[in-house]
Amino acid sequence: MELMKSENIVQDRQPQPQEEEEIMQQEEEEEQRFHVLAVDDSVIDRKLLEKLLKASSYQVTCVESGEKALEYLGLLHHSSPASSSSSQHHHQGHKVNLIMTDFSMPGTSGYDLLKRIKGSSWKDVPVVVMSSENVPSRISMCLEGGAEEFMLKPLQLSDLHKIQAHLLKSLPHS
Amino acid sequence: MDLVQLQRQFVDYKTSLYHEGFLDEQFTQLQELQDENNPDFVVEVVSLFFEDSERLLNELARALEQQNIDYKRIDAHVHQLKGSSSSIGAQRVQKVCIAFRNYCEEQNVEGCLKCLQQVRHEYSLVKTKLESLFQLEQQILTAGGSFPM
Repeated sequence: MELMKSENIVQDRQPQPQEEEEIMQQEEEEEQRFHVLAVDDSVIDRKLLEKLLKASSYQVTCVESGEKALEYLGLLHHSSPASSSSSQHHHQGHKVNLIMTDFSMPGTSGYDLLKRIKGSSWKDVPVVVMSSENVPSRISMCLEGGAEEFMLKPLQLSDLHKIQAHLLKSLPHS
Repeated sequence: MDLVQLQRQFVDYKTSLYHEGFLDEQFTQLQELQDENNPDFVVEVVSLFFEDSERLLNELARALEQQNIDYKRIDAHVHQLKGSSSSIGAQRVQKVCIAFRNYCEEQNVEGCLKCLQQVRHEYSLVKTKLESLFQLEQQILTAGGSFPM
């Protein structure tokens, strides 16, 4: 039947050595870019944050809740920091260099997420907390809870420069 | 209308929107994020705002119709609306949300109902104005113009 022909199609289309090199180069470049996990329950703010981060050449993964973030980090069903994955800062092969989370989210709040992360094998990953409200007690609570930075929304391109400093700090020492 | 006239109209209209407080600096930030890779970024974000706002306004109306008003729930919705309007630069909508939240805290149903009316009004104004702005933009592009001008 005609469907069998798909095997031939796969066989005919072997990547040429030149293309293979390009693909490998692309994958290497992606690995070298910083990967940010962005957490926000607002679809508008997720879109904005994604654009801001991409405009600064970061790789971005957006999730819509604290629970989804914990799931992504493999922390959802484990009460202890022990994880089954091989090394720190890796999830299914993807590293996470920075986590940016909104403070006010239903369910698991940004603060809850911060505490969970700091009590886990991801504790060395910088966490930035964002909020539309300028509440001093909230700010100190987050900073004391281990947040690298507290940023007021809406974020602007200029705010991303501060982020860069934190990301560079997280690079392994040679 | 020729291209130059359209461009003039566009600039004047946009300036008036800032001047009258419908838009603030955050809207400018959105435009600065738009580039060749994402030529429809602003329209996309604003469309998300329209969808989200309409959902929230309906939720608010429903919540205020209840026998036992859940002010915490209303506050949560207004907080969301305040956040999204602030994120796109819809300043007048944002301002009404601030007043709205104060009435929630006081559990003042009259105040809340008035604010709902006000926020609906401001939302529909900014929606109309943004749609007109996008239309002008489109006309300029069709007439062979480009952005930024």
